[in-house]
Amino acid sequence: MSIAVETRALTKHYGSVRALDGVDVTIRAGEYFVLLGPSGGGKTTLLRTIGGFHRPTSGQVLLHGTDVSDQPPDKRPTGMVFQAYALFPHMTVAQNVGYGLRLAKLPSDQIADKVATMLETVGLDGLGNRKPHELSGGQQQRVQLARALVLDRDILLLDEPLAALDAQLRKDMCLELKHLQEKVGITFIHVTHNQEEAMTVADRIALIADGKLVEQGSAREVYEAPNRRFTASFVGENNLLDGRITSVSGGIATVETGGGAISLPSIDTASQGAKAAVSIRSELVALSTAEDAQISGTYVESVYLGLTTSHRVALADGSQITARVVSGTGATPEPGAPVHLSWPADAARLHID
Amino acid sequence: MNDYANPWGYRLQWMYLLLVVTTLMSPVFYVMYVSFNENGFGAAEYVFTLEWYGVIFTDKLMMNALGWTLSLAVVTTVVTVPFAVLAAKFYKTARSKVWVVFLLLSPLFVAADIFGAALLVYFKNLNHTLVWVGDWMDTGVMDGWFKLGFTTAWIGLIIYTIPYAFIVVLITMGRYKVQQTEAARACGATAWRAFWDIEFPQIRPGVMSACAFTVILCFNEYTRTSLLKGGFDTFTTVLVSQMLNEGMSEQSYAMSSFVSFLAIAAIGSIILWTLVRSEKLGAEARAKAAPVAS
Repeated sequence: MSIAVETRALTKHYGSVRALDGVDVTIRAGEYFVLLGPSGGGKTTLLRTIGGFHRPTSGQVLLHGTDVSDQPPDKRPTGMVFQAYALFPHMTVAQNVGYGLRLAKLPSDQIADKVATMLETVGLDGLGNRKPHELSGGQQQRVQLARALVLDRDILLLDEPLAALDAQLRKDMCLELKHLQEKVGITFIHVTHNQEEAMTVADRIALIADGKLVEQGSAREVYEAPNRRFTASFVGENNLLDGRITSVSGGIATVETGGGAISLPSIDTASQGAKAAVSIRSELVALSTAEDAQISGTYVESVYLGLTTSHRVALADGSQITARVVSGTGATPEPGAPVHLSWPADAARLHID
Repeated sequence: MNDYANPWGYRLQWMYLLLVVTTLMSPVFYVMYVSFNENGFGAAEYVFTLEWYGVIFTDKLMMNALGWTLSLAVVTTVVTVPFAVLAAKFYKTARSKVWVVFLLLSPLFVAADIFGAALLVYFKNLNHTLVWVGDWMDTGVMDGWFKLGFTTAWIGLIIYTIPYAFIVVLITMGRYKVQQTEAARACGATAWRAFWDIEFPQIRPGVMSACAFTVILCFNEYTRTSLLKGGFDTFTTVLVSQMLNEGMSEQSYAMSSFVSFLAIAAIGSIILWTLVRSEKLGAEARAKAAPVAS
């Protein structure tokens, strides 16, 4: 598969602030690629630099193998969907969608045809004569999508396109975006800080924090097998226990944490005496009997979350670990009672950052 | 007004506003009133006439001054308003907005007579320098560039009007979101097309208001213009000198009223047009706003 977008050592400074710090990323053509990370981490800066709205301080942006680092947005083969406020309020929906085609000097009958087809594609047929303020938030974002897709460009940049929508609408739109991308078959690069949104739509996810690319992989890889401590802390609900490696032998490392010693599969960079962190997804931790226990502590409380209930347990050093179970299953101990916790042998992951 | 506020507080605020406006505008209305009196100011008997409005168009001195003032107003507007738009655009993207505002409004912090005198000295020195440079280069082409006259009065008015036009444009620009320009660029528009197609239609009322405001300021301005105008007269300088030397003539009342009518009509039209348009758009929106699923 060909490469649609590539950044090489991409760096962007704002005065003394490093918004991007040597980011190398490769995005395949036709891929739904998500840039996920905390606010202020640099993911929007990366997207906007790919789109030509920021000039990189150093490094390169290549689109289909061509260096476009010095080209303005109107010269790049990209479309863009913004978080909000980006529709032209003095134009109708149809005029908004047809604006780029008008700039391209297409005949007006062709513009009308393409606009009508695209409005149908995004589920807005019949609303072409409305002004943007007469539409709901979800409809406005669909107009933005139509306006970008109608240009037949093969890379679409989406800057937190669902952030301004309510939770239910965001879920619906996530699936719609995914299906739309599969239908049109072009490269989507989507920025979000919402991991559920990212996992719903992404073929691949890249985690961006402090201006750096932390880790990338499929949604399943990033969720189930995070390599970096930051990824484990940001994606899913992971228990993180910091400590020091006391032994590495036969592919098993033992980490002395504040709650006790934990043995788990080792990694190449592990060495005795090194600082390390252990992550275990909360849904893989269970309250267990003393014989099966991998760690023990004192029961603190349960938090009912609807589908699941979180049991919080304090360890010897005061840190807490969470076991998340399907609500209504298992007994709930009394606060202050001694409890034991266990997890599958391969559930714990070792991180040395 | 919230549900718990005393209704008299609201009414008092309106009364206060009307009192202030009436106080400000009463002298103007009085001048208008006098301008229609055949017997002029202070006469015991009031006889309505339009005679003085006919006479002003035969007053060569006044018409000449009006012509110069209009010319100055037009060329000042042509420079001031685009500059104000550029300045407002710069303000929107500037990191240190306080400095931009301070620099652009700084001409307002200096008293009119001091600013006028400073410009007068500056232009005289500049003119001497250019004449000296011309002599040195054996050419007289630069001799009159900054001699007191239309150009120097024009520059003085530009400096005077830019802060006001900037503020007016900036207020309108507050509604405009920079993402719209970026969206236009992403659609393939150059920076100029994005401005012309997307930004300008939204700030047009502000630009039109800035134009009207600049023209009115050019008519109002006396101190700087009288110091920098050189040999020609403007409407205000004629009016003031007539008033100081001979007292207000009936033609002066009529001319003052005529200009005031024009200014009120211009500003009133803009306000009315804006109100009617927003009401029309609101009605259209309400008519179309059938409930639809997201």
